[in-house]
Amino acid sequence: MERNGRLSAVVLGAGLIGVDLMTKVMRSDVLDLRLVVGRDGASPGLRQADRLGLRTATDGIRSLTDTDDVFDVAFDATSALSHAEHAARLAPLGTVLIDLTPSQVGRMVVPTVNGPDALAHRDVNMVSCGGQASIPILHAIARRHRVDYIEVVTTAASMSVGPSTRLNLDEYVGTTRAAVRALTGVDKVKAILNLSPARPPAMFRVAMSLLGEDLTDTSVRALVEDAARGVRAFVDGYRVTACTADGEKAFVAVEVTARGERTPEYAGNIDIINAAALHVAERYAADRFATVGAVTS
Amino acid sequence: MSQNTGTGPGDTTAAKSVQIHDPTLRDGHHAVRHQLGSRQLRAYAAAADAAAVPVVEVGHGNGLGASSLQVGQARCSDDEMLSVVREALRNSRMGVFMLPGWGTVEDLKKAISHQVDLVRIGTHCTEGNLAERHLGFLREAGVDAHAVLLMSHMASAGRLAEECARLVGYGATGVGILDSSGHYLPADVTERIGAIRAAVAVPVLFHGHNNLGMAVANSVAAVEAGADIVDACARGFGAGAGNTQLEVVVPVLERMGYSTGIDLYRLLDAADIAATELMDAPPSIDSVGIVSGLAGVFSGFKTRVLDISRREGVDPRDVFFELGRLQAVAGQEDLIVDVALNLRATDERTASHV
Repeated sequence: MERNGRLSAVVLGAGLIGVDLMTKVMRSDVLDLRLVVGRDGASPGLRQADRLGLRTATDGIRSLTDTDDVFDVAFDATSALSHAEHAARLAPLGTVLIDLTPSQVGRMVVPTVNGPDALAHRDVNMVSCGGQASIPILHAIARRHRVDYIEVVTTAASMSVGPSTRLNLDEYVGTTRAAVRALTGVDKVKAILNLSPARPPAMFRVAMSLLGEDLTDTSVRALVEDAARGVRAFVDGYRVTACTADGEKAFVAVEVTARGERTPEYAGNIDIINAAALHVAERYAADRFATVGAVTS
Repeated sequence: MSQNTGTGPGDTTAAKSVQIHDPTLRDGHHAVRHQLGSRQLRAYAAAADAAAVPVVEVGHGNGLGASSLQVGQARCSDDEMLSVVREALRNSRMGVFMLPGWGTVEDLKKAISHQVDLVRIGTHCTEGNLAERHLGFLREAGVDAHAVLLMSHMASAGRLAEECARLVGYGATGVGILDSSGHYLPADVTERIGAIRAAVAVPVLFHGHNNLGMAVANSVAAVEAGADIVDACARGFGAGAGNTQLEVVVPVLERMGYSTGIDLYRLLDAADIAATELMDAPPSIDSVGIVSGLAGVFSGFKTRVLDISRREGVDPRDVFFELGRLQAVAGQEDLIVDVALNLRATDERTASHV
């Protein structure tokens, strides 16, 4: 329930994504992070939450359902395999769920493409890191050009990919493909994920190849730069590293340098999906306060 | 040497046996931009079957679900490849390969519907836990599943042994290492296979590449260090400088006293069929092959590196060494463009200062 002009929030999951998310939510002016839920009190993530002075719990979803606290927003940073159950258990409580797992359960949202859609849904899915990095660009190109085939190859540093994500590779591939299809209208889509073991770790990178018509260098470049500017508004370290087109084929590569307080630079995958999730939550908060304001005035 | 190089199943002599696993129709695809057609697949699969090659692996060079712009689109779909080879094999087992992140459980189900006998799940050598779900699925489905570690020169013997033990825990019925870059010398293989052999109780496998001319010698070293399974391709058909040459390593192992169960004349016939039906020329150790082996870069990058280097006007050998410096791994073909563009920019800057 809102307090001091802020919505109450909880982060479910204290892995690499959950920890970065905590630090982002703590900085928010419109969200009040009341609880971080993990599985193991001795895990590095929950210990870090303790150090940050946050309240923690280890009972999983029960920590949210068996309590008098009311949470306006719950971020699910657990595993795609758990999200459906979390959604079912939280539905009666009216909590808005923002899902960072590739579960495909809730409405898939990419802020610069269909951000307002999030306001009409109680369960919002943030697709995947690769989806958040590629769809703004793919959407921009597909809206202006005929595109017949899209391929998205994501490379994340091994050290930036935690155990749940490692178990969710199939869901990553399936969800990224489904979101690219749904948000670009292009039917033939392939999604691929590589993990790089390089030391120092490789920057998070997404390479996109498109086959279509009239994909000229000038046209594609302008669309890509415009779309990238939109993403940079809330993901500071997002940049285009390659952009070429020869009429029938376009190739675009982007990298994301993480700017989180405790997240290493190479982990742009974590930074971009969390920044997108926070963006959705803050938009929801703004909408909610605007509505409340309208009713009380 | 007799026509039959092996000791038959009824033979009671106690020769140690080595199982040959033949990925000619999978790894060989790298050498022909994944363009083998069904007639070619059928011809070679039937010939390998006649030679009693125990396992014939088929598919896109990067495995199930990998046909893509990133690594090359295959001529035939996975379904077509599997159904053609399945029909051609009477006794040999049909194998497939899959990399998590490229293929998914849906692809495995498809392979099972084609009655695949053996699935290999591959991951980069330090990322074995990416295979946990897929190995678990195959164990549940009752399918023989091996786990293989790619680019294995990038990890120590101890680390590889640890990864292999973990993979057995996930359900792998065999484990082993791929020398994806053709970087090993025999002593490297002895150390690594020895460590893995000591860490697991399931069959251990070795897959060699010939960039430095060491593929047969490395395979021999692997067997002597305890490997049970050796991969080899007809005429060495494979990525870059090619793989361990099947029709060479089999008689070499037989001469050393290992039994493979393979019929020599039929094997030589199969290799001749591969030479005439599958390739314009057998793989050779050319300049970029040597450089990619030295640089420790995935051999499958070769055709893409040559194409892009030509287009951008840079030396492909520089591209390989730079990819090695970046520790690029199999699947990261999208990096080649960036590397070539950066080299070109450096070349142009240098030229302008002269």
